[in-house]
Amino acid sequence: MSLMDSLAAGLSLVGNVEAFFMLFCGLVIGVIGGAIPGLSATMAVALTLPFTFSMAPINGILLLLGVYKGGIFGGSIPAILIKTPGTPASSATILDGHPMAERGEAGRALGMALYASCTADAVSNLSLILFAGWLASFALNFGPPEFFALILFSLTIIAGVSGESLLRGALSALAGLLLATVGLDLVYGTNRFTFGDPNMMGGLNFIAVLIGLFAIPEIIAMAWNPVAHLGRTRALGKSKCTLADYLGSFKSIIRGSMIGVFLGSIPGIGAAPSAFLSYSEARRTSKNKANFGKGEIEGVAASEAGNNGVAGATLIPLLALGVPGDVITAIIIGAFMVHGLQPGPMMFILNVDIIYGLFIGLIVSSVFLLLVGSVAIRGFKFVADVPKRILMPGVLVLCIYGVYAVNNNIFDVGVMFVMGWVGYIMMRNRIPAAPFLIAFILGPLLEDNFRQSMLMSGSDPLILFRGPITWFFWLLTAITVFAITRSTLRKRVPLS
Amino acid sequence: MSEKSLHLRLGIFTSLFALFLVLFAIPTFVFAPSNVGNIILSPLFWPYVLAGLTGVIGLGLLASAFKPGANVPFEDEEGTAHPERAAPWLRLAALGVIMVLVMFGLPRLGMVWTAMLAFAACAFLFRTRHPIVALVCAVIVPLLLYAFFAHVAGVAIPQGNFVRLP
Repeated sequence: MSLMDSLAAGLSLVGNVEAFFMLFCGLVIGVIGGAIPGLSATMAVALTLPFTFSMAPINGILLLLGVYKGGIFGGSIPAILIKTPGTPASSATILDGHPMAERGEAGRALGMALYASCTADAVSNLSLILFAGWLASFALNFGPPEFFALILFSLTIIAGVSGESLLRGALSALAGLLLATVGLDLVYGTNRFTFGDPNMMGGLNFIAVLIGLFAIPEIIAMAWNPVAHLGRTRALGKSKCTLADYLGSFKSIIRGSMIGVFLGSIPGIGAAPSAFLSYSEARRTSKNKANFGKGEIEGVAASEAGNNGVAGATLIPLLALGVPGDVITAIIIGAFMVHGLQPGPMMFILNVDIIYGLFIGLIVSSVFLLLVGSVAIRGFKFVADVPKRILMPGVLVLCIYGVYAVNNNIFDVGVMFVMGWVGYIMMRNRIPAAPFLIAFILGPLLEDNFRQSMLMSGSDPLILFRGPITWFFWLLTAITVFAITRSTLRKRVPLS
Repeated sequence: MSEKSLHLRLGIFTSLFALFLVLFAIPTFVFAPSNVGNIILSPLFWPYVLAGLTGVIGLGLLASAFKPGANVPFEDEEGTAHPERAAPWLRLAALGVIMVLVMFGLPRLGMVWTAMLAFAACAFLFRTRHPIVALVCAVIVPLLLYAFFAHVAGVAIPQGNFVRLP
């Protein structure tokens, strides 16, 4: 199929009001979800997922992608106005955004955050369109040993960048891998940790696990401290972001977008490290270096470009290799699966219309984000005023309905509650939840590809090193392990 | 809490859990056909590998608990003594009871009525400052979700044994 044919097929899928309406709704939900501290873009995507079950696949996925992109931008609004990042990715925005708000320049900071976000989003989407197809055609040569090496690399990097402690991140990932073994064995069909319960033979429901891990702990945390969310909101002020401001920060925006694209396309890194790297690079090269941290608009631009540059790029490994780029794309994989789609290289052959439909939708999403974001900046007061102690019971009810709707099974609701308490205990013990979820998704793929490789080779482990592609991923894994070990050891030096 | 106490606690728990997996859980709850010749292809292989890695991480956590400088408290840690003393624990227990009651109520009362009661109970547990709004939302939100899932998404929402909705 030629490029024009593929584009036409994609356009035939999304060339209707419903698809764009869903994308628009997704952006609105995402911006609101990201703007409410404690709700986060991840939770917004997880809670929207059950509503996509009855939709056409392209509409459902566009809705979720809208929530994702809206959520990443939305997180910057409370970061600037109340010094509380709506998403972890917005943490770097606080550094200069909130000092600007304290000076009465919140409107200017938010305007810059929006323009930088939209620019980075467009750059990221273009990179997705350029690179995903190329990577997918390359990945068509992959067999089980290559996929095993790739997934192992993905897991290594996830464990390495999962918060303040490598060991706690690895513990979380191992717990996810262990939980993924529940169900019937992939080769022999025997029971593993099913306790004789037929509900567990198919494994634990992915959506129940993810909603349990990401939404329920917030509700439990609200029970622990119902007033933790109360804070002071800054006014927007009269100053606005001008064209001169935008052009003055343009270099940092483009650099931040590129950093976002690069880090986003590597599975597991996510938006927060990208935002901080973009911010530190902007500070290192800026003429106004001394103003960074005191309310420098270029700092806001760099951090927002860094975190939004990730949004499209995380879809590169998702669409081309079937490996989630971060925790939100791990949830979006769920939407693909629910609709009977398997992301990966074969999707570029079997479902090329959906792929190109998504590309078209993503390009439009940058324009929609500009519109929705402009309104959201002015409307944040109302979002911030939603009483959290009424919102959270609503989230609980939504979780119950959403998780039940996946399989019409009350057992899944129980799994969600149990996982919620597990997630809360992890939160209290500073164990990150993201590696758990990603390992839970990648675990069966890792084991399946390992055992297929062993079956192919008659249990000869050398098949896992059979050619340049596997060597490449093993080399990347070794480099990552080395880098993680070195940075962990370096962290210890100042302490001793 | 310091990294030392956290890693000590996690390390002991993780190491014991790994032992529990290796000595009891995997031999008891993972079944392998007797004719599997090669251990690598056995359903037992992967769980044992993961249990072994869990043990390694547990030992790593224990070792890191005794590294120099690990005794410094976390900067963003809440005080160990909560100002409300036992109240947060009671609220956590109450939320746990609400969840158990939800599981009990779903097949008997139906999802809508159970969700209404759970919403109201949680709002009052969280000490809402808007009780009237909470009650109105407790009725409207489950009904709206029922309307969407039952009539738009075509999901068979449990109706319970008492009052059935259209």
